[in-house]
Amino acid sequence: MSDVLLRAENVGIRFGGLQALEALNLTVHDKELCCIIGPNGAGKSTFLNVLTGTLRPTTGSVRFLGHDIGGLPLHRIARLGIARKFQIPSVFPSLSVEDNLKVARWGAPSPARPIGELLDLVALGNRAATLAGGLAHGQKQWLEIGMALAIEPRLLLLDEPTAGMTPQETMATAEMLLRLKGEFSIVAVEHDIRFVRALNCETLVLHQGRRLRSGPFHDIEADEMVRDVYLGRR
Amino acid sequence: MIARDRNWLLVFAVCAALAIVYPLFADGYQLTVIRDALIFGLFAASLDFFWGRTGILCFGHAAFFGIGGYIMALVTLNDAIPFGSLLGIAGAIAGAAFVAAIIGYFLFFGGIRGSYFTIVTLAMGVICQQAAISWSSVTGGDSGLIGIPPIEFDLGGTHVDLSQDLPSYIFVASIVAVVVLALWSISRGRWGTVLTAIQDNEVRAAALGHNAPLRLLVTFVLSAAIAGLAGALYVCMAGLVAPDLSGLLLSTEVIVWVAVGGRGTLLGPVLGAIAIQRAQQTISSFNPSLWPLLLGCVFVIIVFVLPDGILSIYARLKSLFKGGRQAQ
Ligand SMILES: Nc1ncnc2c1ncn2[C@@H]1O[C@H](COP(=O)(O)OP(=O)(O)OP(=O)(O)O)[C@@H](O)[C@H]1O
Ligand SMILES: [Mg+2]
Repeated sequence: MSDVLLRAENVGIRFGGLQALEALNLTVHDKELCCIIGPNGAGKSTFLNVLTGTLRPTTGSVRFLGHDIGGLPLHRIARLGIARKFQIPSVFPSLSVEDNLKVARWGAPSPARPIGELLDLVALGNRAATLAGGLAHGQKQWLEIGMALAIEPRLLLLDEPTAGMTPQETMATAEMLLRLKGEFSIVAVEHDIRFVRALNCETLVLHQGRRLRSGPFHDIEADEMVRDVYLGRR
Repeated sequence: MIARDRNWLLVFAVCAALAIVYPLFADGYQLTVIRDALIFGLFAASLDFFWGRTGILCFGHAAFFGIGGYIMALVTLNDAIPFGSLLGIAGAIAGAAFVAAIIGYFLFFGGIRGSYFTIVTLAMGVICQQAAISWSSVTGGDSGLIGIPPIEFDLGGTHVDLSQDLPSYIFVASIVAVVVLALWSISRGRWGTVLTAIQDNEVRAAALGHNAPLRLLVTFVLSAAIAGLAGALYVCMAGLVAPDLSGLLLSTEVIVWVAVGGRGTLLGPVLGAIAIQRAQQTISSFNPSLWPLLLGCVFVIIVFVLPDGILSIYARLKSLFKGGRQAQ
């Protein structure tokens, strides 16, 4: 298959005595949208860290466009076209919103979107001169998404993009992602089931570091086991 | 242009104007005092260029000052080398940059930051001073090298001779002005903005495609090169070089100059260096042993009470008054 963008095979990682991930596989096709869900501590962030090369897996490999990205320095991985949003909002607090986006664009091999368009995309057009450290939580999340977009990624990985957002903001974020869907591939880790339902895409359910189920979201939502482990608890 | 930039340029212009009219009022001795203070001001600006923008403190910056000084001394004292002054300056800059590149490479790409970086550079300074003392066949050991000639070179047909007070003052003041202006324009532009981002969150900057260790390394090397230039200028003006030029005391003093003058402002450290050396001369004139004690106290106060420098008192007061007014 030629349109495979990212392929993770048999990924496992140990932290001391804890097997945080075990035998995980994931294939992301070009321009595909998929979600990863699972209870707290299931290993979602860890898996995302492996997919972005931040963590090196103990077993298995992650290939992006055929390159093994394990062991590449972070900036090289970014320049291959992998962008991410961290779970903890990671903007540059002492720079203005505009400078945050500029720094992101400068890092990209070929930035295309102008700053003004990025500002509008993430609904921060009137906050350009504000220091990022002074933004509200939800706005920081958006700014970080904007920074990820600025590098013109082939693949965007989002770790809980709607954490701490109001329901309206959550839905606005889902709409934003659906609008961007055709441009590049997106992998989103989420807790908020309404958000995942709104995206309605291929979903991987993690539980204790392992794959519990995977498939289209409506099958996952109907699955008894998933309900027991995860959805039922909400 | 934002207000902060305009204010900086305004202060710079005022300082430059003062430097231009100063020779009209000062005698030869006073000129040389300010000239030497300006050289240390250049040294302080070089540290600030790195420390102010990266937030990483180098505690051995005098090593680069000393390396520049010794290279300049060795080149100009060797009669076999033609164009001694120019080659000496070039060698001083290159030598300091080279040492910084080697040490910086291992530290930055090895992921060493923060206090660990400070401690390793502290050791580097001590090693340099010890090397200058022990390698006496080349460096002259404890007593150093004397009889270093003043800077002298031909530039486009005109012969420049800096053995007199006024020409040497003009030369040093111009170099300081040009270098400080250049460093400022680098650090307010794209280069400095990315450095600020790296200081805020290095992993984040790397995940956006920035090669953070390389950028830190280049900044460090540039900073060391300018420290080397300052060292070279100093030994020619003083006529001698000695191990304490790369010593711990000078490394501490330069930190105090930067902290007192205002870290990250580039111009502040130059003024801080001039003001503190002035104070040092006054205090040492009635009690020579008082100065190191005072310096130590100022250092401790700055580290614990005013990590952003003396200038931050003004900013703090301002925000205090603002806060007070808003509360009403
Ligand atoms: N660097 C680390 N060292 C040791 N253990 C770790 C490390 N990182 C994560 N873990 C452990 O691995 C497990 C998975 O953590 P992870 O952060 O991936 O969960 P998560 O699914 O993202 O949870 P959450 O929903 O709370 O974000 C947890 O038990 C965590 O304590
Ligand atoms: Mg997580």
